[in-house]
Amino acid sequence: MSDQEILRTTGLTMRFGGVTAVNNVNFSIDHEGELRCLLGPNGAGKSTFFKCLTGQLVPTEGTITFMGEPIAGMDTHEIVNLGIGIKTQVPNLFNGLSAYDNVRLAAKRKHLKRQAIEKTFDMLSNCGIENLKGSEVGLLSHGQRQLIELAMVLAAEPTLVLLDEPAAGMTGEERDRLAFLVKEVTKTASVIVVEHDMAFIKQIAKNVTVFHRGEIFAEDDVKKIMKNKSVQEIYLGKSADAA
Amino acid sequence: MDYTIIIALEMLRAIAWLVLLSSGLAIIFGMMRVINIAHGEFLMLGGYTVIMASKIGINIWFAMLVLAPLVVGVFGILVERLVIRWLYGRLLDSLLATWGLSLLMIGGVTMLFGNTVEGVSTPLGGFSVGIYQVSAYNLVMIFAAISILLSVWAVLRYTSVGLIARSVMQNPDMAQALGVNSTFVYMATFGVGSALTGLAGGLIAPVTGVVPSMGINLIGPAFITVITGGASVVTGTLSASGFLGSVDQLITFGFGPVYGGAALLIAALIILRILPQGITGRFFTKKL
Amino acid sequence: MEKSILKDPGLYVMVSIGLLIMIFLPIMMDMFAIMQITQYVVLSVYALSLAYIWGYGGILSFGQSCFFGLGAYTFAVASINMGSTSLPFILAIIIPALFGVLLGYFMFYGRLSDVYLGVVTLVVTLIFWKLINHTAGPQYAIGDARLGGFNGIPSIPILNMPTANGQMMDPIQMFVTFMAILIMVYVGLRLLIASEFGRVSISIRENEVRSSLLGYDVRRHKVVVFSIGCGIAGMSGAMWATYQTFIDPNAFSLEMSAKALVWVMAGGVGTLAGPIIAVVILQWISLKLGQLNIINNFVLLGLILVPLVLILPKGLLPTVKQWSQDLWTIWKKNKANEGDTIIKESETVNAGRRK
Repeated sequence: MSDQEILRTTGLTMRFGGVTAVNNVNFSIDHEGELRCLLGPNGAGKSTFFKCLTGQLVPTEGTITFMGEPIAGMDTHEIVNLGIGIKTQVPNLFNGLSAYDNVRLAAKRKHLKRQAIEKTFDMLSNCGIENLKGSEVGLLSHGQRQLIELAMVLAAEPTLVLLDEPAAGMTGEERDRLAFLVKEVTKTASVIVVEHDMAFIKQIAKNVTVFHRGEIFAEDDVKKIMKNKSVQEIYLGKSADAA
Repeated sequence: MDYTIIIALEMLRAIAWLVLLSSGLAIIFGMMRVINIAHGEFLMLGGYTVIMASKIGINIWFAMLVLAPLVVGVFGILVERLVIRWLYGRLLDSLLATWGLSLLMIGGVTMLFGNTVEGVSTPLGGFSVGIYQVSAYNLVMIFAAISILLSVWAVLRYTSVGLIARSVMQNPDMAQALGVNSTFVYMATFGVGSALTGLAGGLIAPVTGVVPSMGINLIGPAFITVITGGASVVTGTLSASGFLGSVDQLITFGFGPVYGGAALLIAALIILRILPQGITGRFFTKKL
Repeated sequence: MEKSILKDPGLYVMVSIGLLIMIFLPIMMDMFAIMQITQYVVLSVYALSLAYIWGYGGILSFGQSCFFGLGAYTFAVASINMGSTSLPFILAIIIPALFGVLLGYFMFYGRLSDVYLGVVTLVVTLIFWKLINHTAGPQYAIGDARLGGFNGIPSIPILNMPTANGQMMDPIQMFVTFMAILIMVYVGLRLLIASEFGRVSISIRENEVRSSLLGYDVRRHKVVVFSIGCGIAGMSGAMWATYQTFIDPNAFSLEMSAKALVWVMAGGVGTLAGPIIAVVILQWISLKLGQLNIINNFVLLGLILVPLVLILPKGLLPTVKQWSQDLWTIWKKNKANEGDTIIKESETVNAGRRK
């Protein structure tokens, strides 16, 4: 099982009117437990790429295979039920419900009643948000909402986890918790992370893919990418030297 | 040959009809994302203005081209100040409130003028194409529709008022940050949209006659044209009116006006199934 | 949320009130009064159809009367043709529900936004109203039933007893039957809302994107919710047709759709009992005012609807609840004598309100 290729996109292209947001992207996650970071300046096409993977957008051209099955053009819920989970850039939560209810709704997708409740508590404690379980999520901070959404994604036990800027709005402590969690997740699933926070990327990643203007610009080990001059020019700028 | 001309004229008339019915609504929707359910009653108000004015001896052209837009425009500003402005960003609530307004207006006019059809004869008479008799007033409506579209386009495209309007349409917060008073722009937009609706109501009054519930028969085509057209005011109205008017007229020729109306709806539903954002949501996205 | 619906005392209170009315009203009141009250029962079922799809499915239909009218005409045509009334009654549920599936497919699979949804439902209703109005000629007949255009269809059969001999219901029997239907619809909807299916509906209403990211088929789900509402509306139409023994195109009118909206808004979106109470109160008021003949019914509806939207957008019942809760928190905090927490608390309450 672990040898199976998880995800592959071939010639993936997404156009909006005259704008090409994702252009001919060939991308793959080859084995279970792989953790890949996507880098790139704003507008590089990372979030659009994610939306194609989850069926929120139907790609203009190209194929996507997930666990050997072609999924381009399928509906979101079908893809999700095959085992892809996504934490969206702006957390999508049920604002009127408590954190506990939010996570339990997700857990119930995979588990029966009793186990769903156990799973919910597991996830809340793993994500370090047990203290928030009774709070209405609409009233929480961005970082806290990020963690709740992460707990929801993980509660459904996906094979592939997509995280769109998970560290945004988090305190240092919350970020450390997140880094630990992401590593935990890679024991059972593959993870793709979009992130801007270089310190965080160094903390978790080995392999990095750089997006630029909708195309894959470079793909390498994180340390080599950091040193890559042209990558620094397009994206990292001077902050990379400082970091 | 004569028959072809007649059909072409009828097509144009049907298209112009939709343009007239919907352009005021399209401006309000395109700029403010508010759908005014009472639109039909605004048309009715324009119609009543013309009928009442001509009854007391005011020149009908003056009543149609000046009084009707004036009365309905002022009324629209009043409505915006009293009701609509509390409901920006609350789309569904604005639908509900304008619906309430629509019922209020139907009831109010019924109480004032009674539930009877009142009419005024069509000015200008007719002319003949071969053996067919055509009402010259049809040409007036076609001309009015073209003028409305052209002037809206010209104002939006070439004037500074139009530029401000477009900036608010694109991004109200940003426009406000640049010092545009979007409250005023919204009020003015609603006023202008209402005035155009009043003009249309006045123009169609001689054809339809007026009755308090006349709006109910008119809003269906108007709404459908606007949402089929999408957010772009001029291009949307023109393309949707062109398409739907032709469908309506072709089916009407074959089967009668009721089926024409139904065909118009079905065509619109199919378009929306394929293009949920309307025609200009997909094509001509950069147009006004 | 975990609490089982069967442990909710509110359900039992409502059902008991319903049963008491069903049993004791026919004993206490004369037949004419009972016949009057029967119309409130029918309209309550109609109000519930919208209360469900709007309050618990987040679907705001401006064309509920379309399905009411469709049910009424289906029942009229089928019962005139068949002679019996049981099968027509069932058809009057099924046909509107199927039409709801068809329309729902176009709307939800087309991913129309809420505003477009409102407009499309409204326009579909208008088209029906127009088409039916145009069927006055003798060529417009289905079997033995002439559609009659704006004259309507007269002599619609009265519902038969569902027993073997199947004689016509007398007014008291009809009242009891309709009350039983109302109670069943109410309980059925409460159970449905509390079920897994209902919870998914609510999660979709709250956040459509996250629901689909949890793997729920949002569009199919909405179509199902919509068509359930259409079926119930159709049934109420059939009840109306057999109660009046007459139906005309006004069943499809905007006024009828507007009434449903006003009732649900007044009673409170997201409740079932509220709209029923609103039906009784508002219909009674409009009846009384209608007798006085001073104010037009449309004006009345408008005068209720506009202020409701502006001042009480959540409806009477939830607003009163909210106010008492606010007062309670403020009072509690005042007692605790902590000035700054009051502000904080009332901010929280405000933030929790509708967007």
